[in-house]
Formats: sequence, structure tokens, C-alpha cells
Amino acid sequence: MSKRSFSALALLAILLLSFSVISVQAQDAAPTATPNVAEIGSGGTHISFWNGLTGSDGVTLNEMLTQFAAENPDVSVTVEIIAWNTLYQKLQTAFVAGTYPDVFMLHASEVPQYASFGVLRDMGDQYTSGGGWLPDEDISATTMSGMVYDGVTYGIPLDNHGRGLWINKTMFEAAGLSTDPATAPTTYEGWVELFQKLTLDANGNNALSPDFDPANVVQWGYTVGEWPNVNFLAALYQNGGSFLSEDGSTITINSEAGITALQQAVDLVYTYHVSPPSAGFDTWQGFGAGTVAVLPTGTWYRNQSLLQSDIDSMAWPNWQWGPNQATWFGTHTFMLPVGLEGEKLDAALKLIQWVSQTENQVIWASSGQVPARLSAQAALNAEEYPSNILLGQTFGAYGIQDPRTTVTQELLSLMDASLQEALNGIKPADQALNEAAQLMQEALDRA
Amino acid sequence: MSTMNQRLDGPRRLSLPFSVNLKTREIIAAYIFLAPFLIFFSIFFVRAAISSVSISFHDWRLLRPSTPYVGLDNYIDLFDDDIWWASVQHTVYFAVMTVTGTTILGLAAALAVTRPVRGQGFYRVLLYIPQLMSVGAIGLIWNWLLSGQFGVINYLLSFFGVRPINWLGDPNLVLPALSLATIWWTFGFPMLIFIAGLQGIPEHLYEAAKIDGANGRQAFWYITLPLLRPTILFVTVTGVIGHFQVFGQPYIITGGGGPGRASWTVIIYLYQNAWVGFRMGYGAAVAVTIALIMAIITAFQFFVISRRVEY
Repeated sequence: MSKRSFSALALLAILLLSFSVISVQAQDAAPTATPNVAEIGSGGTHISFWNGLTGSDGVTLNEMLTQFAAENPDVSVTVEIIAWNTLYQKLQTAFVAGTYPDVFMLHASEVPQYASFGVLRDMGDQYTSGGGWLPDEDISATTMSGMVYDGVTYGIPLDNHGRGLWINKTMFEAAGLSTDPATAPTTYEGWVELFQKLTLDANGNNALSPDFDPANVVQWGYTVGEWPNVNFLAALYQNGGSFLSEDGSTITINSEAGITALQQAVDLVYTYHVSPPSAGFDTWQGFGAGTVAVLPTGTWYRNQSLLQSDIDSMAWPNWQWGPNQATWFGTHTFMLPVGLEGEKLDAALKLIQWVSQTENQVIWASSGQVPARLSAQAALNAEEYPSNILLGQTFGAYGIQDPRTTVTQELLSLMDASLQEALNGIKPADQALNEAAQLMQEALDRA
Repeated sequence: MSTMNQRLDGPRRLSLPFSVNLKTREIIAAYIFLAPFLIFFSIFFVRAAISSVSISFHDWRLLRPSTPYVGLDNYIDLFDDDIWWASVQHTVYFAVMTVTGTTILGLAAALAVTRPVRGQGFYRVLLYIPQLMSVGAIGLIWNWLLSGQFGVINYLLSFFGVRPINWLGDPNLVLPALSLATIWWTFGFPMLIFIAGLQGIPEHLYEAAKIDGANGRQAFWYITLPLLRPTILFVTVTGVIGHFQVFGQPYIITGGGGPGRASWTVIIYLYQNAWVGFRMGYGAAVAVTIALIMAIITAFQFFVISRRVEY
């Protein structure tokens, strides 16, 4: 190969590779999640429906929609299940390109962002207060507030899904602890002691024993790894803190209460040795393998726990580490794009109304989530849906939701990385929170 | 009869309505063959690249109707951001480790499979197979291999009395671990290039060296390596460009670039801003800056290595 032709070839290769970077803006840089597409029904009026229900809840909803299509033979539905983060990206690009779905599902915390873009249909006419079919009083005030932005109601809530604990009953009994949720501690110190009794090293010593070997733990009492954001929010509010100032203009997570809340979680890893660091530890695998005693997770764990026949588990309310009670919950919400009309609008509304009927909301509880309609919550069978009922009551009593801003996803993403830095011992809790608060404030100011 | 004539005359030549010499005909034919690629390249790459440069001077949000011009503000913000510089540092560290590893392993593998051994083709295919896998599959495989809970690597190390290592949870270990995964995945391409390079070295040079009493090591250092310099230049330049754009491995294996931001690379930084924060203007500024950095690194490599390259 001559020097000249080699140089030409190399430069061409470099040019191509360089262009591939600079044009990354025009592409989805993320590895695209494979959409789970289901064609349901064969009716002439066809609608598309995007949601992010990638777990067993998506399977439940598709089964419900199959029943819907059987009862409504004039309608067919293409359901695309896309991981939430990818769904947010795909929705924005779809609205730009004009290829958005006829129905889609978001979390209530996303309502302000999409409403501010002007792409959501006003759904107020579906509530009885607007002449529609859904009784306003059948939705809790907290859930209802998540549907509204600037006085306009944009969503029809499907459920409340949120945080609680799953405990390994066998480990509790072996440690001499009661499995009755009423006996759960109400202070941070009480919870630490419980976790210490449940954390065992290879020699069988628990974390309260002077002979305990923290470098050789075989059974963890707790794990800080699953979704640090929502755990932190709960601890933040329990300690009297808040995410935003009252006027919504200032990030306040780095208050004294915030630093206390994060430090409590960090201490579980590095001071009390009752939890592994968050990174590199799969919490569900750990619980399923019998190496974690208390799994902080959510309503969505119900079906997973039923599958794990070798683990005797049950739901508990979320822990209480501060003087107040608090647990995080969110709301899956049906949305329609502005401009949808005619037969497609009728079919989309028919689908939402069908899923939202009280008897179908009860079926939806089999996904693990708590139905949004209070009448459906009241109709749940205690034998069949113990976790839905127990955790649903905590959401109603002291549930907190994500902050409502037009940049909530960006704020939570920034916070998550900083929380992880503290939980993995990379930065002290106060430094991590101060840095997060600064980045989040800049994002909020840009909005 | 006409078919017979065509066969006797050879393939039909490109007929043009005007008179041109042979060289011009060849150039025109080359461009005609290249045209489909160039058209799509222009539409999907060049246009997008130019558009990115333009977007980088605006506060551009996907669904916001207004995109105000902000001049160099995005670039100024970028250069003020500590997370950006940390991401650059992680990327350089990763790229240096990975390019070094893939180059050495690729060369070693090429030397091994160019020897006249039985099953040579089989070994070549076997060593190249990882390169054919998608980043998603590689990510899942190495997530399991490196798992601190149930990973195969920790299991094997336990036979030597090594306690479980949190490969993906330790900020000091995560980038070397990701580099290891990437070296295993991508050394097949340099291996192929090195095989081609080795086959281009005249056999008589080795014969002459042998007659002069050179052993295998001397032949490698004084014949093989110097004559492979053009190949090494190509492998390292394309390797740096490719590995500087690493995204899938840290994003999938660590679940987003963790622990914390310990494995955030420049492309993860770009992704977070453009596709999580939806700051397209800022993301475009990041993309343009990455392209400029790579152009500078490439020019430097060319300048340093090509001065001693023998063609």
C-alpha cells in the first residue's frame, strides 16, 4: 500500500467516524429498548397505545385490553410497551415528527412538562364535574391534584403505585422478630437495631455481636440499592425537609433534614454494615436468593413475590426514620394528544373508560398496583390483595409524590447520580447533596 | 449473434455524449458507483452534523416553539462544568486502556493465527466471534460475569482465596472492568487488520534474517514490528476514535454510568443532557466539542506516529 493511498484511506475512515459522533444529535444515542408490541383485536377503528409497563403490570393490562377488544369488536389496538426513559424520549420526538400515539400513559409527575408543551388534550370533560362519566369524588384529592396543571385536568388516573417493604418471614422468625407490621419500629434507631439483628456474617454472628465480621456478610438486613431517589424523598419528608421551597423556585434537598436523611442511608452501609453499597448489588436477586431480609420496593413486587414460592414473604409499610411518616407513590395516567378527534377519539375514550370501570380496576389490582378509584380500592379482597390494601392505605394516609415542575425528570436524574455517589462512598452526604442542589437549581432556573 | 459479439468485445463501456479520456471516464464511473453512498451520507450524516453545529448556538428544546440564539453560551457552560471534565478524564482513561489492550491482544492473536497450524480458520473465526455480538448482549453477559453477588469471575477467584470484589460498585475498579469487557469484545477487528498486515510482509525478509542467524524474537522486533507500523497507526487511530465514543458498555453494564458518575463518559454526558434533560442545544455543543477533541487527538497521532511509519 502506498503512503498516499494509506493516508487517504485512513483519513476517510477518520472522517466517517468523526461524523458519526457529531451527528449523534440526530440519533437516539441510547441503546433502544426493544418495544413489546401487541396487536389486540381486529376492529376497523384502530388506535395505538404506548405505555412503559415493562413488568407484570404490562402483561395484566394487555390481558385486560384483550377482553376490552372482545367486548368492543369495532376497535383494535396496537399496544407498544417501551421502557419509561425511552418512552419519554420517543414521545418527544414523536410529537415533533407528528407520529405520536392515539393514547399514551405517563406518570402524574410528567403532566406539567407535557402540558406546558401544549400537546395534551383537556380531559376535564370526562369527569362528572365536566359532564363526564368519572365521579370526581371517586379519586383521592392527592391523586387528582397530580392530573391538573394550571387549572386544567389532563389525565385519567389508572393507579397508585408506590413504596413499601417486603420482608422475609423466615429470617424474621429466625432472628426472634415479629412479622406483624404493627410491631414495626417508628424511629431510625429502632430500624437500625432490626436490620442489625437480621444481618449475619458467615459465622452466624449478627451485626450486634462484637464478633461480627462486616467483610464477610452472607445475609443483609436491608439494601439501599433499589431506587435511591424515592427512598431519599421519603426520608427527607420524614425528617421534616422538602424538595422545593413553598413558592417552587428553590431546591431545598440540601437542608439539614436532607443531609440527615441521606446520612441515615449512608450509615446503614458504612457505619452499621447492614446493607451492601448500592452499586453492583441486584436487590431483587438478593431477596430472591435469600440473602436480603428486608427489601425496600413497591406495589409492583406483588407478583414477583408470588412467583418466589421458596421465599416466605409479606408486605410491610415503608420504614420511618424521622419524626414524620412518609412514603413515596406515583400515578400511572392515561393521556390523549391534543387534536385527536373523530372515530379514533371515541375509541380512545372508550378504552380509557372501560379500563377505569370499578370492576376492571379491581382486575388491575392483580398487577400489584393500587387502583386509582376509591370504589375499586374498597372492593379489594383482603385475602387476595393484602399488599395492595396495606400499601394503598399508607399512600392515602401519608403518601408523597414527585415534585411538580416542568423539568422533573431532569431534576430527579441529577439527584439520583449524586445520591449514588454518597451511597457508594465516593462523596460525603453533605457534599453530594450540595452539588446536586446546585445542578438542580440551575436546571430549575433554566426552565 | 449480438450476444456473441458482446462476449467477444468484452463488457460494454460507459458511453458518454462527449469525448473524454480514459482517466476521466474512470473517475466518472467511480463517482457513479459512490453516488448512492454519498447521497445517503450527505442526507443522514453531513446534514445532521451541520445542523448540530447550528443547534449548538441555540437554547434548543425539542417541544418548545422558541429556540433563542445564545451564541457561545453552551460552550462556555460546558467548559465550566466539572462533570464534563470528569467525563473527559474517564473517557481518556478508558480509551487508553482499551486501545492498548486491543492492540496488544489483537497483534498477539494475529501472530498466533497466522502460523501454519491445523484448524487455522476455525481459530480465526472463534477469536473474531465476540466482535459480532451486539453491545446489548455484551453488556448483559459482562454484567453477570462481573457481578459482585453471583459473578463467574468472583466465583473463580474464590478458589484462590479472594473475597468477592465489587467490580461495578468500586469507583476505582469500574473503568478497568469495563475496559476488560471491551477488550474481549473488540480485539477481533485489530486482529483482522494485523493478519492482513502480517501477510503483506515479504517472506524473504524473514529468510534473510534467518540466514543471518536472527532468532524469532529478533525477527519480531526488527522486521515484523517496524513493517507493521502503518497497520499499528491505523489500528490505534481508529481504536481511539471508536473507544472515545464508548456508551453502551458503561450504560448497560453499570446501569447508567455508575457508581455515581464514576463511569460517565463524554457520550453518557451528552446523552444525559440531550436525552434526559432534553437540552438539545447544549447536547449539540457537547457533540461538536467531542468531534473537535477527536480530530485533535487524531492529528496528533498522525503527526507522532506517521513520521516513523515505513510504507
